[in-house]
Amino acid sequence: MPAHHGSGASRRLSRWIPAIAAPIAIGVAVVVVPMQANAAVDLPDLTPAELVEFAAASEVDALSGTIEQTSELGLPDLSGLTGTMGGGAGGSDGFGSDGGPGGRGDASGDGSAGDAASATDLDDLVSLITGTHTARVYIDGSNARLQVLDDLAERNVYLTDEGAWIYDSREQAATHFTVDRAALDALKAEASAQAEAHADEARKRLEAELGTPLPTPDEVLDQALAKLDETTEVSVGTDARVAGREVYELVLEPRDADTLVGEITVAIDGETGVALAASVTARGASEPAFSVAFTEVSFEAPDASVFAFTPPEGTAVTEHEVPIPTLAELEQMKAEHAAGTGEPSDRMSRPEVIGEGWSTVVVLPTAVTGAGAAQGLGPDASLRQAQDGAALLGTLTQPVDGGRILQTSLVTVLVTDDGRVLVGAVTAERLLDAAASGR
Amino acid sequence: MDGEAGVSRPASAGAPAAGGTLSLFASELLTLFRRRRTWALLGALALIPILIAVAIRIAGDAPSGRGPAFLGQITENGLFVGVTAMIVAIPLFLPLTIGVVAGDTIAGEASHGTLRYLLIAPAGRIRLLIVKYAATAVFCAAATLTVVVVGTLIGWALFPVGPMTLLSGASVSVGEGLVRFLAIAAYVTVSLLGMSAIGLFLSTLTTVPVGAMAATAILAVVAQILGALPQLEWLHPWLFTEYWLGFADVLREPPVWDNFADNALLQAGYLVVFGALAVSRMVTKDVLS
Repeated sequence: MPAHHGSGASRRLSRWIPAIAAPIAIGVAVVVVPMQANAAVDLPDLTPAELVEFAAASEVDALSGTIEQTSELGLPDLSGLTGTMGGGAGGSDGFGSDGGPGGRGDASGDGSAGDAASATDLDDLVSLITGTHTARVYIDGSNARLQVLDDLAERNVYLTDEGAWIYDSREQAATHFTVDRAALDALKAEASAQAEAHADEARKRLEAELGTPLPTPDEVLDQALAKLDETTEVSVGTDARVAGREVYELVLEPRDADTLVGEITVAIDGETGVALAASVTARGASEPAFSVAFTEVSFEAPDASVFAFTPPEGTAVTEHEVPIPTLAELEQMKAEHAAGTGEPSDRMSRPEVIGEGWSTVVVLPTAVTGAGAAQGLGPDASLRQAQDGAALLGTLTQPVDGGRILQTSLVTVLVTDDGRVLVGAVTAERLLDAAASGR
Repeated sequence: MDGEAGVSRPASAGAPAAGGTLSLFASELLTLFRRRRTWALLGALALIPILIAVAIRIAGDAPSGRGPAFLGQITENGLFVGVTAMIVAIPLFLPLTIGVVAGDTIAGEASHGTLRYLLIAPAGRIRLLIVKYAATAVFCAAATLTVVVVGTLIGWALFPVGPMTLLSGASVSVGEGLVRFLAIAAYVTVSLLGMSAIGLFLSTLTTVPVGAMAATAILAVVAQILGALPQLEWLHPWLFTEYWLGFADVLREPPVWDNFADNALLQAGYLVVFGALAVSRMVTKDVLS
């Protein structure tokens, strides 16, 4: 011991060098590695129109990858709140079932599964618009699968030619959506010229019914392109790198002063034209309020086994058939829509659209005719959902003249005192204006 | 016989060079697994799956959606006892046992006055640290395997066993399920290596082993609390507890390996930082006992 004292403090200090160097080395690596990955990307220049065309002409029909979705809408984290509400609703379940009508009118015939689904639908909805989610996507031709990776759980959407499966590991419940092939074929035979469009409509209905839990970057691009007109300023941003691939950046800026949307950027793969990332930034904000991006992507066809699904034993299976209207029914619907007539109850449940472009406002006539009824979950389920929704709205909204308003950085929701719900990516003033004037 | 003292060390500790390191490691392992305390810790871990299985066997199925994940699946498939027990053990019980073993490494020897004898022999301070850390890592593997193996055995004994339903809804055979359980044990073992390095460093700071043990276990709890606060999201990827429950990715079809890579990298970072701290502390330390 005493012998060491002579060499003194400097020797001691030198022995702490590894302890000091290790964190520094890690810090440098953390900074340098991403910088090198993002090192200058320079793709051949394209005009906005060329870029949009390039993206639209993209013909990738097989890919697999990991998507990360983040939402910062300025909503509080409600996971705890909805959790306790779900429990409370479960407790009053017996009362609700006894008081409800004898016939549930539930096509699936599995009421309890439907109830459980409705209680979690709201949780799912709230959880999707707050926080971060990771999912894996597999696409091969007409087969597609979305695998939402939750903590110790998983939600899956399988889409194949035979129909669609939704599987939720937490509920151990599966829902099977099928399209009546015979009806579809009959429809095709009925009007082969128009059949293509109708089949498309049926497909769209199926997709709408499914309400995919996470939009893929491609879907976001499609929606953005649909809005492309003189209301929007389109430009090409700086080239970047997404999921290790070089991408173009398409920037859409609304010219409309009423909308809350400040900017939409879409990252388009420089090689294939596939949208690899999309983000929506609110007006005046620096960070995106909503973003979805591939963190890893491969354009090789995924193994066929990833699309196969058979409900495992012990799973509650709900069968749901998407109705295919006949040609006559379709034409009647179209005529009614054009004329603005039809049965009052039918019209009441249909949302009304005010305005166009970025400041579009959607008016849902009554809050009670929620998604539950539309999904055929039965009256009990939709009532419960409405109650849950009302409780949630109460805690989230603030009272304004003529109703209650929910303000997020991107979307504003107004629930008027007469029961209408107005939704739009617009300012609160615009919504109140639309509620008052109907324009 | 005093199980705590750790004095029953075989005399081969002094042999030099690489063979010496191996024999030092072997003797360290023998010392560790000869202790009653080590077996008490493993026994406590084994109790978790046993309690879960017996409780469910007696009380019947839990209402769905309550309790830890997979709890509801146990009555259909006993293999899930091991996974459920792992989920229960990870937040507190596993960190506690690892904290006890890692916190004891150097401080335990110091408190018994055996540290200076270990260093008088040409074992070398750094070599002693490496051997101690390796023994702790072996204990991590033993601890996770205890939970998984005992869970699988008790589940097999008390409940029906059949093809396993994975999180994705796909079913795999019992054999493949067991392989996936071993992958879970490996994942959790790796998850605990960063914490073991922290415990090793804390153990070099003191001659009171209980202090290092408690500090290590408390750090694990603190890290998990920080990980639960959404306001500290920027910090989360740096917490050594961040990927602890990520092992469920083995139970997906196809399995997702992203967490495995991230977790290994994170734990390696903790190992490098706290390993370097421990080495520096060890070589500058005045060993008085």
